[in-house]
Amino acid sequence: MKSFYVIPLLILFAIACGGTKQKADLALNLKGSDTVLPLAQKTTEGFLKANPELSVAVVGGGSGTGITALMDGNTDIAMSSRDLKIEEKIKLKEKGLDVQVVTIGIDALAVVVHPSNSVSKLTREQIEGIFTGAITNWSEVGGENMEIVCYSRENSSGTYEFFKEHVLNKKNYGNTVLNMPATGAIVQSIGQTKGAIGYIGLAYITPEVKTIDVSYDGGQNYYAPNFDNAMNKTYPISRPLYYIFDQKIETKIKPYLDYCLSAEGQQLVKDVGYLPVQ
Amino acid sequence: MQRTLEKGVEILIKTCGYFTSVVVILIVIFLFKEGISFIGSSPVEEGFSIIVSKSNSLQSITSQQAKNIFDGKITNWSELGGDASDIKLFSLEDLSKIFSEEELGNDFENSDKCIEKLLDSIPGAMVAMLDAALPDKHALNVLPLDKITLYKFLADTEWFPTAKPVGVFGALPLLLGTLLVSFMAILFALPFGLAGAIYLAEIADKRVRNFLKPLIELLSGIPSVVYGFFGLVVIVPFVQNLFDLSVGETALSGSIVLAIMALPTIITVSEDAIRSIPSDVRQASLALGASHWQTITRVLVPYAASGISAAIILGVGRAIGETMAVLMVTGNAAIIPYGLTHPVRTIPATIAAELGEASFGGLHFKALFALGCILFIITFVTNYMVDSISRKRKI
Amino acid sequence: MIVFPDSSDQTKRWSQIFFFGLARILSIFIIVILLVILYFIISRGISVISWEFLTAAPKESMTQGGIMPAIIGTLYLILYSMLIAFPIGVMAGIYVHEYSKDGPVKRFIKMMTNNLSGIPSIVFGLFGMALFVNYLNFGASILAGSLTLALLSLPLIIRTTEESLKSVDQGFRNGSYALGASKLYTIRKVVLPIAFPNIITGLILSIGRVSGETAPILFTAAAYFLPKLPSSVMEQCMALPYHLYVITTSGTEVAKTRPMAYGTALVLIMIVLVVNLVANLLRNYFASKVKMK
Repeated sequence: MKSFYVIPLLILFAIACGGTKQKADLALNLKGSDTVLPLAQKTTEGFLKANPELSVAVVGGGSGTGITALMDGNTDIAMSSRDLKIEEKIKLKEKGLDVQVVTIGIDALAVVVHPSNSVSKLTREQIEGIFTGAITNWSEVGGENMEIVCYSRENSSGTYEFFKEHVLNKKNYGNTVLNMPATGAIVQSIGQTKGAIGYIGLAYITPEVKTIDVSYDGGQNYYAPNFDNAMNKTYPISRPLYYIFDQKIETKIKPYLDYCLSAEGQQLVKDVGYLPVQ
Repeated sequence: MQRTLEKGVEILIKTCGYFTSVVVILIVIFLFKEGISFIGSSPVEEGFSIIVSKSNSLQSITSQQAKNIFDGKITNWSELGGDASDIKLFSLEDLSKIFSEEELGNDFENSDKCIEKLLDSIPGAMVAMLDAALPDKHALNVLPLDKITLYKFLADTEWFPTAKPVGVFGALPLLLGTLLVSFMAILFALPFGLAGAIYLAEIADKRVRNFLKPLIELLSGIPSVVYGFFGLVVIVPFVQNLFDLSVGETALSGSIVLAIMALPTIITVSEDAIRSIPSDVRQASLALGASHWQTITRVLVPYAASGISAAIILGVGRAIGETMAVLMVTGNAAIIPYGLTHPVRTIPATIAAELGEASFGGLHFKALFALGCILFIITFVTNYMVDSISRKRKI
Repeated sequence: MIVFPDSSDQTKRWSQIFFFGLARILSIFIIVILLVILYFIISRGISVISWEFLTAAPKESMTQGGIMPAIIGTLYLILYSMLIAFPIGVMAGIYVHEYSKDGPVKRFIKMMTNNLSGIPSIVFGLFGMALFVNYLNFGASILAGSLTLALLSLPLIIRTTEESLKSVDQGFRNGSYALGASKLYTIRKVVLPIAFPNIITGLILSIGRVSGETAPILFTAAAYFLPKLPSSVMEQCMALPYHLYVITTSGTEVAKTRPMAYGTALVLIMIVLVVNLVANLLRNYFASKVKMK
């Protein structure tokens, strides 16, 4: 009876596979913001090159996911692209967590359109109008007669929240906005769609999209989303990127954190396309 | 010894026999536990209250109205049937700007007094406040929001689950989007699927059949994610250029991808139905002088109609539950679809995109489970239909 | 009495020729679609596949390196889900076909199995998250993912087991009973060995299904980036279908990760091709053996 031999063999094989249980000295879990993901991935790669015996896992899902996981004790570090909300702070306190928030990089959000679009600058108010659905045609903001197609991140992402808070003045997005599961998909779609507009982190800017100069003072001064403007803080839409963790495990994650903030780590931040902290 | 061992194994086999039923029941319990608790809850984010001044005459507002207030679309209480005074919004952050830390207290222990002061001075004010920062919310005039009812959940036209502090949960656009994409997909797939089934069952010779059947099985074996990838890279630009659309991520792209995915189901089930027709029916028709093609269209297909309709229903059911491929190609805008060339958001795509983020046990989380319940009910009904059709056929 | 008003021989012949041609063309079109998909992925993916691609972890934000952790993760998920689902599924199939009497109970079980197979994979994901991840507190892990996938693949295994037991001639059973063997002994020594190749076909098909499912593991097992191989079933893992989804939709350089996506898609397609091929070979082999009897 073949099956009576096969199944034990399978089980043995399984044990052989799963039985090599050597817990790494340091198994770190990072969870959260998709904006921080490429950065976390890069620094993790560098960190693991220097410390091959350690293990680090990076999981996306969005800033809120990371913070929730931190509350539930399912992750060591929450990656976040927005500040902790007051209610999150209160919840964390309730759970008895005393969290530390460390800035590991700075991201500027660029508003981007299809390269063929003649519009090259917008005021905050215009962007608000576009994303809340009040402005639906490019001709209303000095472009050609063409329908505006807005691309946004999913409603669960920290970038979505940040953009809503700082650019849309806390108003909700219009319901015709297309929600993309990740920023990469936004870039791809805008590259394919003539009337498209969307917002992406500096790191994601590619030749397939054109950046828009933004004015926060009603059209007096426009600033381009580039490295220098973001560094000298003239470009208005920028935000810090955080690692949030519980005070109690600081010693455990210190090596990793130190690496991220070291010269080498910050160089990686630059390589990915974000701005270094110092 | 041998006897007890045999008895034991037989009991084990019996238990396994009931296993699937247990799993289905467990799924029902876990889905509906969360889903049903969503109905009847207040759309305000947990731990939040909307506070208005005591002079405000409104009894309650809907979540849609609340969202419009926060979006600045409603600026005066009179628009909601209240007194004519401008609505002024305040959040906890605003409070900490208006009042000093001493006034509020370190842990906001005096926040209620501050809010009262604020509301007295601005009668049209509205404060979105965290309960945890309120020592005593009963002393204040908390404006209740209309509870979520099943009808509202199914009939509301906006889906803003993460709108703060009042979420808007209208599943109608998602439901319609799902149905639109699925039905159009089956409509596209049907002519090809039927032709394929007829060809395989009646026209093709044995060698061709043996060659084609595995290929069609292969089509059903390709993972959903690969279809999504193919759709994103090939079909979306193709649809956009073909119809000169402003967006390529549309219901149409989703339908085309789903149509390809539904083909194998439709073909195999219909072909089985046609092949299972007793051969004397075919012989009789041919004997009466009908051509082979007439036999197929006027005798065999009507004879197998129930089997073919089972295939269609099964295809629709599969398409409705499809997640990844749709998530990647339909653009996911939560609007009521008014045409094939517009983006849609389907229920499965919504769950996949949002569940990872929704905090466990929160309102949003429950709302997604409620969507899961809708999906479950739809597929359960389609299954039941297929079941009863195939039972009838046997009689 | 069927009347064919338009049955002049000429029109009959020509319409038949026309419609047969149409059916052929539409059928060919289906195959063309399949070939287009396969060609599209194979032609662009084949240059990406290399030894390094299959044995290295992703590097440089997924623009270089390979997909080894995802392959291993998927293997883990297949292995554990099948370890759970296969025995249960086969036994359930045996129960339904050999033990249960015709009647409401059997109908109920069959209906429930059917229902389970009709439940969308995303609902399995929801259920897996509610039961395994949260309620039983496994967290997102290989274990939770495998359990979810196991439930998903049960109906397929049960159905193929049933089918293969049906194809075993009743005479074998009767002969065994006549020799005084018990029911269980008969099933073990006579029925199962004959039905076994077909049952294995079901297992192989389930492997194909499990290897490509994304929705059930989204919240129960899949990790975005985990270059280290998992060391226990309580850890998360990368998985091929999720990895394809990730590199298609996120990442800072869509253009640079595209080749990786083609490569990953090709590996997934290869798994499906191999699974289908093996299943068909087994089927044909089995069919020829039955004929010889």
